[in-house]
Formats: sequence, structure tokens, C-alpha cells
Amino acid sequence: MGPTLIIGLDGATFSVLDPYMEAGVMPFLADLQRRGARAVLRSIMPPLTPPAWTSLVTGKHPGQHGVFDFFQKEERDSIYFTFAGSQHVGAETIWTLASDQDRRIISLNYPLMFPAPPVEGAVVPGGMMPWRQLRLGCHPPGLFDRLKALPGFNPREMLDMELEIKAIDGCPPEEWAEWVNLHIRREQRWFEVLRFLMQEEPADLVGILFDGVDKLQHLCWRFIDPDLRPRQPTRWEREMIDRCEQYFRSLDGLLAQIVDLAGPEATVVLASDHGFGPSSDVFHVNTWLESIGYLKWAEGQRDGGDRPDTDVGFAEMTRHVHAVDWSQTLAYAATPSSQGINIVERVPGSDEPLPEDTRATIALTLADALLEVRRPCDCRPLIEEVWTREQAFAGPFEALGPDLSMVLAEGGTISILPSESIVARRAEPRGHHRWEGILLAAGPGIRPGARIAEVSIVDVAPLLLHQLDLPVPGDMAGRVPLDMLEPEELERRPPRVVAVGGARRVSPLQPVDTDFEPEEQAALMQRLRALGYVE
Amino acid sequence: MTDYDPQVLQSILGLLDDLKGDWEYSGEITPDTYFIADLGLESLEIVVLSTMIQQEYGRLPFPQYFDEIGQRPVQERDVTVAELATFVCEHRQATAPGGVTWARR
Repeated sequence: MGPTLIIGLDGATFSVLDPYMEAGVMPFLADLQRRGARAVLRSIMPPLTPPAWTSLVTGKHPGQHGVFDFFQKEERDSIYFTFAGSQHVGAETIWTLASDQDRRIISLNYPLMFPAPPVEGAVVPGGMMPWRQLRLGCHPPGLFDRLKALPGFNPREMLDMELEIKAIDGCPPEEWAEWVNLHIRREQRWFEVLRFLMQEEPADLVGILFDGVDKLQHLCWRFIDPDLRPRQPTRWEREMIDRCEQYFRSLDGLLAQIVDLAGPEATVVLASDHGFGPSSDVFHVNTWLESIGYLKWAEGQRDGGDRPDTDVGFAEMTRHVHAVDWSQTLAYAATPSSQGINIVERVPGSDEPLPEDTRATIALTLADALLEVRRPCDCRPLIEEVWTREQAFAGPFEALGPDLSMVLAEGGTISILPSESIVARRAEPRGHHRWEGILLAAGPGIRPGARIAEVSIVDVAPLLLHQLDLPVPGDMAGRVPLDMLEPEELERRPPRVVAVGGARRVSPLQPVDTDFEPEEQAALMQRLRALGYVE
Repeated sequence: MTDYDPQVLQSILGLLDDLKGDWEYSGEITPDTYFIADLGLESLEIVVLSTMIQQEYGRLPFPQYFDEIGQRPVQERDVTVAELATFVCEHRQATAPGGVTWARR
């Protein structure tokens, strides 16, 4: 039995990969999909790197695993958010499940892997792991020093936070070409670490995540999407189109080498955490909340300054703590990435809890109002869907998620910054996340040429466990995608489900007492009316 | 600001000593060393250090601590190793969860 590979391509979408395969830019990927099964991989709410990869490796939705965003609350009634790490993952992962059942693992560049879990094998965390502290993230102890001895090992190029910020907030045009080149080198660096580990200490479950796909698509979407590429490009635009193509060509070469290293008996699973598409609208959600009386900026915070009104505030996440006047605020957006709105837990200006039914009323009122927001460019609805917390995040960690989650039309993005306009429009489209990611699988028992319309991202973990000949914990939301497997193989080795697994840790949440006496309820409602929050 | 347990201070100094070679930092790290001004750390790197410290001492109110530092005048938005040790000692739990200790990496 060969190893099982899970190769992540952050943000990969068939609308980009298919044209590159057809044009011969990604010949290995084209061959792999001929040999294997293919499906659109449906992401979760929100389709965002930390919660989506966590769903992929746990087989659970965010309300079940506890990761909602880059930052998150540790307590329901706190306005403070902390940086999400492995300690916030409240479920077993493929890494821990495989390791606990005597399978060796390699996990490279996956987010939410710091601090590394005590698995049998090697872990080099990714995501927002700062390069200068990579030593702390590597598992087992001593691994970092072994990697440091490799020729070309360069943690700075592997994990430079500036790349992340430039992808979202942009950078001057003269920096773009080198920025793409750096991503080409970055993927090569990660590959070299993987090659070393696969050769030195072969594992049963081998994972590597290439995240340049997401970064390039954010900043360079108009040079990648065939429908948006300039018809008569300038010299610089031509160079950018070619450089982006070179990135995908180089990536394809790395994929070929990884699969070759794994051998002919390997199972190869390629997946993305979410898809991608063009994005032009920017919704200043806190400015909108202010306009309808649910948020008040703190003194001196109302002025957006000289920033372009399309900035989303990626580098200023959780600025709400001091940007907002809490004595007069009922709802706020803490990060642009969560696509969410939080309703305060206390009556503004007091320590009294906001009654649950009042919070529910506010949520429904805001949800209705959000669906009425129009795009100035064509007067069409800006927001297609609004999900309540219960709808989006049912599960033991539900209370830590935003109260409302939005789906913006045509991939619109959210800004947490103050602005003169509620909806701004970019002069040139950028790339932004979509629900539809990719899943390609090939190897023993996988149906060659199978084309499945859609598979859920929570089904990937069960598929990987099945290919490792391990049972699927019954508490996973996902199931083995049977349509991807050969009928004969299913008959010979049907998926096994076991009633084990469960939460890795006890939920940090304590039940919140929301039962109020009628007199207390009336008094609280009176205060809210006085503040102008409820009719 | 020296109200700290010397063992906590030594733990933090030991952690930083392990790391400084990777940063090409050749200076001596002392209780008076500033994380930003002297070591050149960025906010996310301090957050990662805080995660390691919490592995040793249990959950600590770091978000509030960082927030308080962020509200200071620009020239005062920094802490020394000793100040961090003091913060840990003020807020650490009686017993660290699981008795986790830092392994040399």
C-alpha cells in the first residue's frame, strides 16, 4: 500500500486550472485528472483559509471544530479577538487520527498547526507562522536544525507575512513581478523540504500546502482569469500574464515531482479550501452599521484618512476594540475576512447581558436591512444571502461565531474601515473567494475519469482516512464520497464508520444564562429604546 | 516592574536564547531587552511567543495586554523581557494545564 498524499492548492479553482491545462501550461495536472476522479469541492461558511482547511482536515463544519477566521473570540462575551492557532481546533484532525493509529505523517505549510500536535512524524506549520519563530513550530524537536542544514533552506522566503498583506491590500505595480517570482521560489522551498522528508523518513499520510495560488489570484486576478485578461496588453501587462503563467507551470512541475517521489501505488488527492472569482465591490459594513444607528465610531476614529476607499483593513483586523464607542454600539464587524457581523453581548454602556431574544431581534432586523443594500453601479442587491449564527455554525462552538454571515453578490468584499461611502468599487477587479474549490483524486480504488458534480469539503477527511485503511469517526459531518471510488473496491473494502473520535478538548464556552425576569426584561428593553436601538 | 518569579524570567530568556541564533541576533538578551526596539520583533511574532508562554503557564489575558500596549504613546509601545515576565506572574494560573514544558527545538 502506497502513501496517501493530500496536496493543498490554496484557493485553486477549475475556472483557472482548466484553461491552463488546456493551454499546456499544466500538463501533469491534465494527466492526473485523466487518470483520476474530479469534483467541484464545496467550501464552508466563510470560504476562508483557516476555517476551510480546518474543515478539510477535521471533516467538520466550523461550529463543530471551533475555527471561524484568522482571529477569533475565546469567550463569547468578549470584544477581544486572539490569533487563531492549533489550540483553537476543537476536533481531531487527519493528522492526529492517522498518527494515533500508527500511521506516520508529514504535514507541511498547513494553517492552524502551531503549536504542532504531538504526532508521529514531521510537522512544519504554515499559515501565519512567522519565519523567525519557525523553530518553535517544527515538530519533532530537532527538526528545524536538520532542515536548516539543507542547502537552500530559507524560512524567510517560505513564510513572509508581508506577502499576505500585499496580496490583499495591494502593492505598487513595479513590485508585482518580483512578488510573483518570490512565490515561485517559495513553493520550490517548500517542495525541497518535502522531498527531504519523503526521502529520509517516508510517511503514510503526506500533506503539503501551496498557498501561492491564493495570493496570486487575489492580486493578479485580471492577468490570470482568461475572461479578464487585457485584449491588447501593455508591455507590463504582458509580462504579468507571462509571470503568472510561469508560476502555474512551475507549480505543475512540483506536483509531478511529488507524485513521482510517492511512487505508483500512492493515492493522490489534490484539494483547495475554496474557489476564486473576480471581485469589484467593497462593502464598508461598519460605516453601514453607523448609518442605520447600530454603531458609533469612537472620537477621532470616524475619519478614514487618506486611504483608498477600497481598502478592507486586512492589516488592521480587530481594530474595533478602540475604533468603536462601546457605550453606543450594538453591532460591529471585527475582521474583513469573517464576512460577519457581531452583536454585542452587553447592553451598551452597562455590564448587563443583552437578552437573547433582543439579540435575535437585532440579528433579524439587520439581516433584513442587509438584503436591502444596493450597489451604486447598477442598483442591484449587494448582498445575496445572510445567514444567522444558528444557520451557519450549528455545533458546540456556535456561540464563538459571528451573529450574521454575509454572501456578497459577485464576490464582493467587506471592509471594516470607516469610509465616506458605504459601497465602493475597484477600478480594476481583484480576485476573491468563492464557494467552489477543486478536488482531484487518483490512485488505488479511485475511479479513473469519474466526474462528480460536487463534493463537500468535509468529505475529504473521510476519503483520506478510507485510503489509509482507517475507519471514519462517526461524529464527522463528512462521508466518504462513494462516487469517486471503484464499485469493486467498495465491495472489497467498504468504508468503516466508528463511534469514536469526538472533541479533542472540552469546549471553552460556558453556558450563558439568558433567562430574565419579566421586570428585568422590560427594564432592559426600556434602556435600549432610550438609546434608540429598538422601536 | 521587577515583581516576577525568577524561574518565569529564566524560561522566557531561555526561549529567546533558543531563537536568537535564527534571527542572526548576536547581542545578549537580558531582562531589560525590549522586544521591538532591541530584537526587532513584529506584533505577530510577539503573539506567537505568547502562545508558547501560554503552553507553559495556561491561558493568559494577552489580547487585553496587547491592546493596552497598543494604546500607549507610540514611543512606549514596547515591553521588556522583565515586564513580560511580570505580566505572566500576575496572571498565570496556579497550575499549568498538563504541566507542559518547553522542549528545546
